[in-house]
Amino acid sequence: MIEFERFKLDNGLTVLFHKDITTPMAVVNTLFDVGARDESEDKTGFAHLFEHLMFGSSVNIPDFDAPLQNAGGESNAFTSNDITNYYNVLPAPNLETALWLESDRMLSLAFTDKSLEVQRSVVIEEFKQRYLNQPYGDVWLELRPLAYEKHPYKWATIGKELSHIENATMEDVKAFFQKHYNPSNAIICIAGNFELDYLKDVVNKWYGDIPSGKKPARILPLEPKQLKFKEKTIERDVPTDAFYYAFKMPERRDPAYYIVDILSDALGREKSSRLYISLKKEKQIVSNISAYITGSLDHGLLVISGKLNNGKTFEELDSALWEVLNEMKKAKMSDEELARLMIKIRTEKEFSDQGLLNRAMNLCTFELLGDANGMNEEKEIYNAIQPSHLLEMAKQVLVKTNCTLLKVKATQDAK
Amino acid sequence: MLNRTIQPDLQPIDKIDFVKPIIYDITPEVKLFFMKDVTNETTRFDLYFDAGNIRSPKGIPTFVNGLLLSGTNDKSSTQINNEIDALGGFMESGLSAENAVVSMYCLRENVLPILHILTDSIDKVAFLETEVTELLADKKQAFHTNMEKVSYLCQREFQQRLFHSSEIYSTVATEDFYENVSTQGLKKFFQEYYQKGLTKVVVVGNLEQDVIDEIIDTVGKWAKTGVSIFEKDIQNLPGQIHVDKENAVQTAIRVGRILFNKNHPDYNDFLVLNTILGDYFGSRLMANIREDKGYTYGIGSMVAEYNHLGYFMIATEVGKDVKEATLTEIQFEIDRLKTELVTNEELDLIKNYLLGQLLKSADGPYSMMDLYLSAEAQGLDFDFYNKAIEDLNAVTPERLQELAVKYLVWDEMTIVSAG
Repeated sequence: MIEFERFKLDNGLTVLFHKDITTPMAVVNTLFDVGARDESEDKTGFAHLFEHLMFGSSVNIPDFDAPLQNAGGESNAFTSNDITNYYNVLPAPNLETALWLESDRMLSLAFTDKSLEVQRSVVIEEFKQRYLNQPYGDVWLELRPLAYEKHPYKWATIGKELSHIENATMEDVKAFFQKHYNPSNAIICIAGNFELDYLKDVVNKWYGDIPSGKKPARILPLEPKQLKFKEKTIERDVPTDAFYYAFKMPERRDPAYYIVDILSDALGREKSSRLYISLKKEKQIVSNISAYITGSLDHGLLVISGKLNNGKTFEELDSALWEVLNEMKKAKMSDEELARLMIKIRTEKEFSDQGLLNRAMNLCTFELLGDANGMNEEKEIYNAIQPSHLLEMAKQVLVKTNCTLLKVKATQDAK
Repeated sequence: MLNRTIQPDLQPIDKIDFVKPIIYDITPEVKLFFMKDVTNETTRFDLYFDAGNIRSPKGIPTFVNGLLLSGTNDKSSTQINNEIDALGGFMESGLSAENAVVSMYCLRENVLPILHILTDSIDKVAFLETEVTELLADKKQAFHTNMEKVSYLCQREFQQRLFHSSEIYSTVATEDFYENVSTQGLKKFFQEYYQKGLTKVVVVGNLEQDVIDEIIDTVGKWAKTGVSIFEKDIQNLPGQIHVDKENAVQTAIRVGRILFNKNHPDYNDFLVLNTILGDYFGSRLMANIREDKGYTYGIGSMVAEYNHLGYFMIATEVGKDVKEATLTEIQFEIDRLKTELVTNEELDLIKNYLLGQLLKSADGPYSMMDLYLSAEAQGLDFDFYNKAIEDLNAVTPERLQELAVKYLVWDEMTIVSAG
């Protein structure tokens, strides 16, 4: 059980407090309810570029990192298609330094031209390092627009193309901040050994006078239900053929999300999973294979990906893979198999809750979903799932018309 | 009215409480380290073997490590994986130059059943031909993919030149590793370095004494007798070389030299110098090459440690047109450490930062154990960190300049680029 307190400031900021008396450290985690899905299609990559700018000067403080380092702490952030999350970890007695820094950049940034120019180059290098200069690095840039036709999940957080980052202007950046970075669009969680009264005082002190702003309405293009199988083959200068089967799945708030999560585990999480045993160990068609879900807040994807063994064809793969998927739709899973999947989930959750930062981040995410206590209710949802639920869900999700397939054809000779 | 331009008062970290693990002698040479102070149901145990990459050429240590759960004469790899998964175990195996480690993460209620499946499967591993063939094909395919990455190409060349004077430490994977591997050779390596090669056991978790006793009883038979030998004296090959990679849009860079580990009297102060240069987000390399020039997504420096030596390395990936400019800036930052004293302001920041990071590294039983092990591997214990705190408080700008002049000598560096 992860205990927490919740209070709201007058300006709309939601504050969560998680007390842990065993740690000398404190975490300040800030979730802004903005991600790449909130970008317009001709200006993609902004949420992420903006995350970089948040480490430049804020309105009253010339440098974000140095004061935090001086307090013995460090900071980082990530951007997803759904959210932007910033975190600081520092010695507990210096908590106020983190609140001072975070509240000032929530108040306003300094918006210098130099900062924009430099972070633009840094993000372009990040684009190259992670997506262009790696074998198979660009598959998600290909898979997203293939799987999604309308919903903004069709572009990656790094952006659709380099030119969107190259052409970002200061006006664009300021408008993005005005719209999304205000207290009513944020959730913070503070974790550490503090008293609630003290915490309320210091949070009010630093965040209380930030103008509330307006929580932006989110009206995203709805993805139409997929009605037919989609397929694309790309040729790349890589040594091995690779494949990505993507199936649309329910959104994060839907209890069915958890059922699909278990389905993906059954198919390809561990070496005891169905696809691994059938396609790798028995038929030796693939060198590796795994199944996972994207974890998206809106309708996400269940993905099965892997690489072919030398001399094996995509056709052999396809028939063997569908054989396994069809079995999943035909017969109920045994209680034994379900128990094996559940103990892994339980063990993983126990390890995840071991970390202070993880606890703070998860509380914020669940609060965004509606209630931070969802973090404690998840276990019950998993426990209620029966083989019959899995069978029904497999019949809905694991069907050809719901599938998008990306094949990467290697142009290098097999060695 | 709140003054937002002034940083809130800081409190110095006056002390860090280090909690030492309980130590059991499995044999006079092989010890078990136990940290009980875990507040939830999680457990981890690690088995360390003297089966690192330096123990045999041609990839044998990698293959044996990858085959530990590949099946026995009466149990297939799939059966073994099924059994471990049914108990919720997450296994990780790690291989470095000087060590092989098998780690298991699980709930404490399952620790003994998992231990028995794991040790039984390892002890009876049969090196079945189908499994060996499959692993070699997988490793070969992964090798080909790696050879497409500039970071891998660069690190590979760097390792050869860094450990230049030692044939075994400088060995890197090549195409022929994956051909003509004899099962006999794998078995022999396994018997020598696993079944007689256990060097250390680590347990973290809220476990009772009888569980620890049973772990010792179970793995004790593998205990290594005698002391493991590691190289003490290796020289790097100075100079610059470029590895060509067609169509790469970025160039990877490594700059470094052989240095020392925690046992050297200059280690603690050098670590401060390394942090200033490149080992935190506000470092001089980051400030110049990322935050001012925008040449890269990231650049860092590090000190890597072995049992009896260590090395210093700067690593980055930059736009292909700014390779030379980056090297010039790296050299500029190194020279600046030799010619200009670090300001007290910068040094104070580093001291506060490093103390905060040490406090974090000692937060919780898992971190505390890892912190302890990193000293223990070099024959030290928590006294080392207490001394490090003293040294950190005492280090001066003059001392850092002296170390920069002594160790950051450009002509002694191995410099590799790939792209």
